[in-house]
Amino acid sequence: MNDQWTTRLSEYIDGELDRTEQAALEAHLATCGQCYAALADLREVVARAKSLEDREPAKDLWAGIRAGLTPARAADRPAVRPSGRRLSFSVPQLLAASIALVLLSGGGVWLALPQRSTGQAEEQRPRPRIDPIGWTQSTDVAIAELQVALDQNEKRLDTATVRIVRKNLAVIDRAISEARMALRNDPGNAYLNLHLANTMRRKVELLRRVNDMAAAQS
Amino acid sequence: MPRQVLEDTLTADSIAADSALAASGDATAFERLYRTHVARVHTLVRRMLDADEADDVTQDVFIRAWQKLSTFRGESAFGTWLHRLAVNVVLARRKTVGIERGRFINEAEPLDGLKSKPVTPELSMDFEEALASLPEGARQVFVLHDVEGYRHEEIARMLGVVPGTSKSQLHHARMALRRHLER
Repeated sequence: MNDQWTTRLSEYIDGELDRTEQAALEAHLATCGQCYAALADLREVVARAKSLEDREPAKDLWAGIRAGLTPARAADRPAVRPSGRRLSFSVPQLLAASIALVLLSGGGVWLALPQRSTGQAEEQRPRPRIDPIGWTQSTDVAIAELQVALDQNEKRLDTATVRIVRKNLAVIDRAISEARMALRNDPGNAYLNLHLANTMRRKVELLRRVNDMAAAQS
Repeated sequence: MPRQVLEDTLTADSIAADSALAASGDATAFERLYRTHVARVHTLVRRMLDADEADDVTQDVFIRAWQKLSTFRGESAFGTWLHRLAVNVVLARRKTVGIERGRFINEAEPLDGLKSKPVTPELSMDFEEALASLPEGARQVFVLHDVEGYRHEEIARMLGVVPGTSKSQLHHARMALRRHLER
């Protein structure tokens, strides 16, 4: 079997022939049993490829990976510039940052919740360890970005709104500060981690809403 | 919210949080990402390269992911980002060891390479084994297109060939594999 159409069967399956070629191939298929059978086989190959399943490696590779991890370098992480920065946030960027932070905070809550055991293999894995310092650092960086954006945008809001926002942010900041102080003494406390994650999430949501309001005023 | 949707959402949230934690240097969060994604990465590597290289290259993929996490901006899902990184590592490996030599020139090779294998039903090869027996070029095009869903234009860019070569290799790979379908 090696006629002029045989090599076009895959393109036909993938919808890459133009209408004229497609019509000509279909006419050929009506008269060529070999191409017709080959087409059915090729379709099955494609279907088989899509149904292949992933398999775990035969051995756990984590130890080798862990040995190859270098400590995180602070210089690689985005730094927050304290002042004088010329902001170029767009509304979609602010929204994306806010949504990501809500997810991040939600993830923190999720990590703080007790995990359901699914069997012996699950039990043999190392239990997820809450690392409040790690996740709050990255959240702090992004919150600072949103805070700077708010500082730039708040002039678009009326003074009464700004006053209320500042008052609420101060309350939230005080709660965050207290939670952090408590966590210094008891870093593994699930309730405190949960409380801190929830409080930081509230701050993110407030910043997001206020930035949205300011953007709507422009 | 349906239970499955809720679980998927929580899983996505957890992965997003872990990728942020890992980017800030949390190796424990990175281990959770490893355990979530290792099967997918290892399977991709095993299919694209030889099985005996899969462990080493998979480890290399995750170490590079750790090193590059600061560049992950979250525009795509972490799994998508990691998968693309794995493809790049595999293709770089392919160039390094020089196994691409001539693979995209001789289009008849995939068919010839399997002609002598038995095709009787009782001896038909496992599909994965048949895939592994394809020459590198045809195998990689087949995996990228039919298994992973890349388009010919993307594959051509990744492999440094023209799209027509990718299409031709794909067809030859499929024709070779049809001989090994279980009937």
